[in-house]
Amino acid sequence: MFLLPSIILVYMNGFFCENMFIPNTVLGVRMGRPTTVASSGKRLLPSIVAISLVLPLLLAVTVRAADLSASSSTYLRYYERELAGGKKNTFAPLYEYLSADAANLGGAPVAFHFYGWGRVDLSDASGSGKESGDLGSAYLEYLHPRGNAQMKLGRFFLAEGVAVETLDGGFFKVTTPAGIGISGYGGAPVEHSILDNVSTGNSLYGGRVFFVRPGFVEMGVSYLKEKGPFQGKDRELYGGDLWLRVAGPVELTGQAAYNQSTQAMASQRYAVRVVPGSRFDISAGYEAYSYKDLFQTALHPAFLSPSVDNADKVQTIFGVLDWEVVSGLTLELAAKNIRHDKANPGNANRGEAGVRYAFNDRKDVFGLSAAAVTADRDENEYQEFRGFATWSPAKFHFSLDGLTQQYKKEINGKKNATQIVASAGYKVLSSLSVSGDLTYTQSPTFQQDYAGLLRATLELGMTPPGGKK
Amino acid sequence: MTRRVPFAAVFGAVLIALLVGCSAVSQTPSVPPRHPEDLPVGRINCLECHKDVSTGALKPYASFRHSRVFIDAHGTYARQGQSLCAACHAPAFCQACHTRKEEVKPSTKMGNRPDRMAPHRGDYTITHRIDGRIDPGSCFRCHGNKNDANCRQCHR
Repeated sequence: MFLLPSIILVYMNGFFCENMFIPNTVLGVRMGRPTTVASSGKRLLPSIVAISLVLPLLLAVTVRAADLSASSSTYLRYYERELAGGKKNTFAPLYEYLSADAANLGGAPVAFHFYGWGRVDLSDASGSGKESGDLGSAYLEYLHPRGNAQMKLGRFFLAEGVAVETLDGGFFKVTTPAGIGISGYGGAPVEHSILDNVSTGNSLYGGRVFFVRPGFVEMGVSYLKEKGPFQGKDRELYGGDLWLRVAGPVELTGQAAYNQSTQAMASQRYAVRVVPGSRFDISAGYEAYSYKDLFQTALHPAFLSPSVDNADKVQTIFGVLDWEVVSGLTLELAAKNIRHDKANPGNANRGEAGVRYAFNDRKDVFGLSAAAVTADRDENEYQEFRGFATWSPAKFHFSLDGLTQQYKKEINGKKNATQIVASAGYKVLSSLSVSGDLTYTQSPTFQQDYAGLLRATLELGMTPPGGKK
Repeated sequence: MTRRVPFAAVFGAVLIALLVGCSAVSQTPSVPPRHPEDLPVGRINCLECHKDVSTGALKPYASFRHSRVFIDAHGTYARQGQSLCAACHAPAFCQACHTRKEEVKPSTKMGNRPDRMAPHRGDYTITHRIDGRIDPGSCFRCHGNKNDANCRQCHR
């Protein structure tokens, strides 16, 4: 179960080394900026991360066992791939996902959170090497008992105004008695470029000023700046966000981002939602974005010319409904109209309908759904049907999931794809579950593919009643 | 020297927040860091136990009903704060999808939980070509500058 923490630690070491100590000159050619400039932000990071990792160890002696929790998920996958020339590769990657949380460090409202994964291949290399891994988060968090004031220090996932980032750095947020609040963050962005010879951003900082009146409104303006090689410019965004309870169960939400680097609106999303009770929920809205302004910071060639026409713009109208018709039986409907400025890819509509039935004290669910995409161009049209069920008698857990898609235009000589996933599991202990999945796939990619997965999940929940998912 | 300014500003603001924090912070109780009751399996409906407005999140509990509507729009709420989310979800929960260079898609890791919303079910190497053409903005949020390890096999 814990075979791979060492791999994760190896990649934590890689995190320190790759991100902070390798001089910029070995990272290759950067676009639009000198290659030898090192940002001051990165110089700060070793100390920030070291503090966030060492401090919990120092305080650990005062942590009560009841405030510690850890989760380990181990996956052993098995699959084969036939390569050009008839050669067949066999893959058996073993993954370990480890997360740990320690609260009340030093008797204070301070917590430490950790999440990371590692992989070793037991057969042919499934990635760029036979080992891989990533440190997702490792940070200290302070939660003030009043006003949701908080601070974070280390590597963490951040969603705040225009920012949806993983960051090596710090974050704070505080709301005053008048309802006016402020948040700020700074550090080095944790990104991953798959463009050759292009590095990720160097430093990222920003903040949000907001006003909140409980149960009525929250509105904010935010700013983000990331220094980096993004088509010759930094990334600089201004954002606005709104949640407004208009009347009773009706609320309006909005978010918009203005790209200062391209001098244009990057994206907007506005929605009205009605939640009149605990069983009915409906929403409709409008969304728009411009390729050139939203994708300016892409480190993925699929979002850049020539893969896409950067002059294109998208406007979307959408609606979603969720209605628990009778206890346990829920109807879901969704529709979306997507309009492009450019004839290629052209406009499209997606409609879907589904039902879910929760039973066995809501531990199990049976569901059916159908979706159809109609489009100006045949290659963008398909239909999708899905059925799934879970069944959990005593300590066993079984599930079956089937998905099939029919494409209007042939892809690699085929017009359909099907995948079926069957799973069986057993709860060995209250904290330990084991399960196995068998997946069958037939698609334009696969003639007939069988893949297996063994899963072991350990939850060391030395926690008081309640807890986390 | 110029590059140090933003960092100095951020950490200066943190220092100020610390110094004046006790008097400047709203007296509204924070959301407790851990939900005090055991949570049922499956989609949560806060309204089964809670009424009206969360004193911590400052929005009605109805806004957080885990319906298809909320799941589709969860980012809108998360961008204004995650305190209420964090009472029930460990930080690692977000990173099952929001990661830097994930190799295993969520629906594979959760193959035994078909009841959960997980992106990219089926042979998504095919379907992503269509979804990517008609609405690439929905892909960009996660794949624009992170979470790309598998993309490199084809996109170079």
